[in-house]
Amino acid sequence: MVVDLIDVTPFLTWLFGPGWTEGFLFHTLPLSVFLLVMLGGLVWLVRAIRAKEGLTSPTVGVWISVTLTAAILVLLIGLTVWKSLPAETTASISAKFVQPLGWLLGNQWYAGAAYQWLKTAIGATGLVFATALLILALRRGPREAFVVTGQSLGDTVLDVLRMSPRRVAALALLAVKESIRRRVVVVFALFILLLLFAGWYLDPQSVDPARLYLDFVLTATTYLVLLLALFISALSLPADIKNRTLYTIVTKPVRTSEIILGRILGFLTVATVLLVAMGGISYLFVLRGLAHEHELTADLLQPAEGTKAEKDAKQIALRGATSRVHHHRHKVTITPDASGAGIVERETQPEQGHVHPIKVRTEGNQTAYEIGREQGMLLARVPVYGKLSFRDRTGQPTEKGISVGDEWTYRSYIEGGTLAAAVWSFEGLRSEDFPEHLPVELSIEIFRTYKGNIEKGILGSLSVRNPKTGKKVEVRFFEGKEFVIDVQQIPRRLSTPDGKTVDLFKDMVDEGKLEVWLQCAEPMQYFGVAQGDLYLRARDASFFLNFVKGYVGIWLQTAIVIALGVLFSTFLSAPVAVLATLGAIFGGFFSDFMYRLATGKTYGGGPFESIIRLVTQANVTSELEPGLRTNVAKTLDQIVEFGMRLLASVLPDFSRFNFAEFVASGFNIPGDTLMAYTCRTLGFVIPIFVAAYLCLKNREVAQ
Amino acid sequence: MQSDVIIETRNLTKVYRDFWGRKKVHALKALDLEVRRGEIFGLLGPNGSGKTTTIKLILGLLFPTAGQALVFDRDASDVSKNERIGYLPEESYLYKFLNAEETLDFYGRLFDIPRAVRRQRVADLIEMVGLNWAKRRQLKEYSKGMTRRIGLAQALINDPELIVLDEPTSGLDPMGTREMKDLILKLREEGKTVLMCSHLLADVQDVCDRIAILYQGELKEMGRVDSLLKVRDVTEIRASGLSAVAQEEIRQAIERHQGQVLSLDNPVTTLEDLFVNIIRESEEHPGRRVRGVSQK
Ligand SMILES: Nc1ncnc2c1ncn2[C@@H]1O[C@H](COP(=O)(O)OP(=O)(O)O)[C@@H](O)[C@H]1O
Ligand SMILES: [Mg+2]
Repeated sequence: MVVDLIDVTPFLTWLFGPGWTEGFLFHTLPLSVFLLVMLGGLVWLVRAIRAKEGLTSPTVGVWISVTLTAAILVLLIGLTVWKSLPAETTASISAKFVQPLGWLLGNQWYAGAAYQWLKTAIGATGLVFATALLILALRRGPREAFVVTGQSLGDTVLDVLRMSPRRVAALALLAVKESIRRRVVVVFALFILLLLFAGWYLDPQSVDPARLYLDFVLTATTYLVLLLALFISALSLPADIKNRTLYTIVTKPVRTSEIILGRILGFLTVATVLLVAMGGISYLFVLRGLAHEHELTADLLQPAEGTKAEKDAKQIALRGATSRVHHHRHKVTITPDASGAGIVERETQPEQGHVHPIKVRTEGNQTAYEIGREQGMLLARVPVYGKLSFRDRTGQPTEKGISVGDEWTYRSYIEGGTLAAAVWSFEGLRSEDFPEHLPVELSIEIFRTYKGNIEKGILGSLSVRNPKTGKKVEVRFFEGKEFVIDVQQIPRRLSTPDGKTVDLFKDMVDEGKLEVWLQCAEPMQYFGVAQGDLYLRARDASFFLNFVKGYVGIWLQTAIVIALGVLFSTFLSAPVAVLATLGAIFGGFFSDFMYRLATGKTYGGGPFESIIRLVTQANVTSELEPGLRTNVAKTLDQIVEFGMRLLASVLPDFSRFNFAEFVASGFNIPGDTLMAYTCRTLGFVIPIFVAAYLCLKNREVAQ
Repeated sequence: MQSDVIIETRNLTKVYRDFWGRKKVHALKALDLEVRRGEIFGLLGPNGSGKTTTIKLILGLLFPTAGQALVFDRDASDVSKNERIGYLPEESYLYKFLNAEETLDFYGRLFDIPRAVRRQRVADLIEMVGLNWAKRRQLKEYSKGMTRRIGLAQALINDPELIVLDEPTSGLDPMGTREMKDLILKLREEGKTVLMCSHLLADVQDVCDRIAILYQGELKEMGRVDSLLKVRDVTEIRASGLSAVAQEEIRQAIERHQGQVLSLDNPVTTLEDLFVNIIRESEEHPGRRVRGVSQK
């Protein structure tokens, strides 16, 4: 639990790129000392700047402008020259100048998020600067443009650095009060109402009621809070401008940056309080909604077949099912244990993804059964994923399985009754993590070429293989059912067909590496699998913490929406700002799709190519016949694609921020994923803040 | 030593444009004026003459189309000048959902005033504007006059050096008007500089040291109130206890010197005369300074 909060290595890799630990920086200077020094320097700089009076002087303005212009020119010319050089030359130059940096920062530092951000930030600064310069040059002449642009860029930095916490807090508090006045409470009431109705509406007959409940509360919270965030943030500034309350504010020594930050923080506070309240109530709602007990009385049980001796010794198993509660009953088998006082199986059979503990009480001749509360309904599994590869029907390695005709699916298929197999290679397995057995969970898709007995599953087998020695041991056969998480346990001691036993970790695992093979045993039937379909379930994290993490995900989304709302409200009227924010959110939800469209990863090309295909009724995968028409269409598509790529990279990819699926399907949200998304959120909110600042600063408040 | 000029505008011009950038109103035309330390300066003009526009330009709420406004020798767009300014807008643009105390406390925080000082000052100011009995009531329950008072208190929260008042007496009852004027005079006694605008002549005449008269965005007249009202080619004679014979004698004496008797009655409010004259003349000859009255 704690461990997965601090497993920061994947996060740091994401941030600094793979190989960050190879660098000199990492090895010689302890990273913390380095960061501390940097931080100290930054604090000192901020204090020095805050102490200084007045604005950026024109001289400094000119200096900033000249430096930036020179930097942009050098960059642009450099890039052009670079692109025009032959590939071998660039490769040799990069070997000379870029790779040597590897000793300092580690190789592939340019693949990390930090570098990507830096690049974007530099690009954005350059773009803003060039645009401002151009506009001012057109309006007031080049000389003044140079002075003024540089000066205002300097002022921007000063302005942000000189923010006063007291003012920001005052403005944030005002935003909170304003939101309360806007009846935020109504949203909360609406939420409670939704929960009340949901009680009737949520179908308890579902195979996975926990998922249903969690999905519902998380989705309802997300939509309500995002909608609320959208409205309070986008309506606030326009209202202040319309009521002219902003006049009284901006004639105080309030910086534009404080107005923006105060608002964002204030609304975020409101959203946080609301989220905490909603989260608490949701948690109780889910617990209560799922809680139930069954009854087990003697007349629900029947004795199983047995010998007379066993009967006399009262060692016969009783079989039956519990009473029906929440539209399901559990099968039970009551087998008295050797002492006769207890029972062997202390749990009911699983149903709807949970079990109940059974207790027996005997008083004289009377035996009473006590069935406890449900267990294992709310989980946060911590899966360990392996890398998936395939073997074809002759047993040769292939990259992919076979396709069964449906091109759009992401699963690959293995044929039954052949040597075809899906192989998951795991790394970093330690025996102390799996003291009893290696729990494997899998869910597969089944493709039947003939129906067979549709009631029964398709037989498959699970084996383990030592990747070094190639030794392979079959673990067990199982009946594959479609889309049900199937729990298999690979015991620590395995028996081979020739009667020997092998130790899982001693004989099969090589330096933490192990392969798990899945094969389909029935000829003419197929298993469809994807990488995430089989995983080792190392341990369970706390469900409560996972639930909280799910809400943190919503909180991150809310922060972006609030920042966007404030940004749009700095230059748009209230209704337009609401629409624009809504548009950005929707765009964000589809930005993934847009990006794929823009990078040509969807079939059938861009919009113009698609039109040609539509008109000529060409297949989406066939090449278009070359010619002017095709060329024009492709060029136009490239332009559209460029625009979309730009848009897609600017909009936050909301769909990925959604952790609800993790929580609802009972998987732990990895700590490093959460951290990466927190950074991403900051990566969005900071530029949005700067943009909002620039917009408001250059707006006539009293117009 | 700080300079004596608190506000200076140079060729200050404002053209309001619509969404498409088309010219709508030429609200202020090349205004040059100076407000000096310790004086009460009045902007006088009928509705729509550009008084509020001038004030907004000086405070940086609007950006000038041409020219420049300097306050404390800094450009109007510099926020740090606001530390020393108090501003009472034309209507009190305050948050209706706050009460009087909260309002003043909020604006106090915006000046980064420490908590203890802020508390004291809020209490003093509420006392001063006479709203102690209503300090816990939300501003939406306030009458216009009460809002005006709290607006004034808000403008004084930072103990400013320069106070900008836009129509300070609008919405006040006669007693309130009187109090407001007394207060403005008191502020001058404390060494503060006041810039106010009004269309009410009586207000301006009572309190201002110097005035500028605006009409349709143009400066028509500027100078000390006393010298502006001194009409040089008119001699006013007021006396008591004169017999009809004596009056006739004086009349004849004036006529002997090619003078002309206008009246011997009590004079009407002379600022009103001046004002009406200026407007009338402007309408006849637009774009001209009315008379070359001395600047001092
Ligand atoms: N935001 C605005 N947009 C367009 N025109 C405006 C705006 N504000 C004021 N005006 C116009 O500018 C002129 C001067 O207005 P204002 O300065 O408010 O006058 P005053 O305060 O002297 O009554 C008026 O004609 C008014 O209609
Ligand atoms: Mg006005």
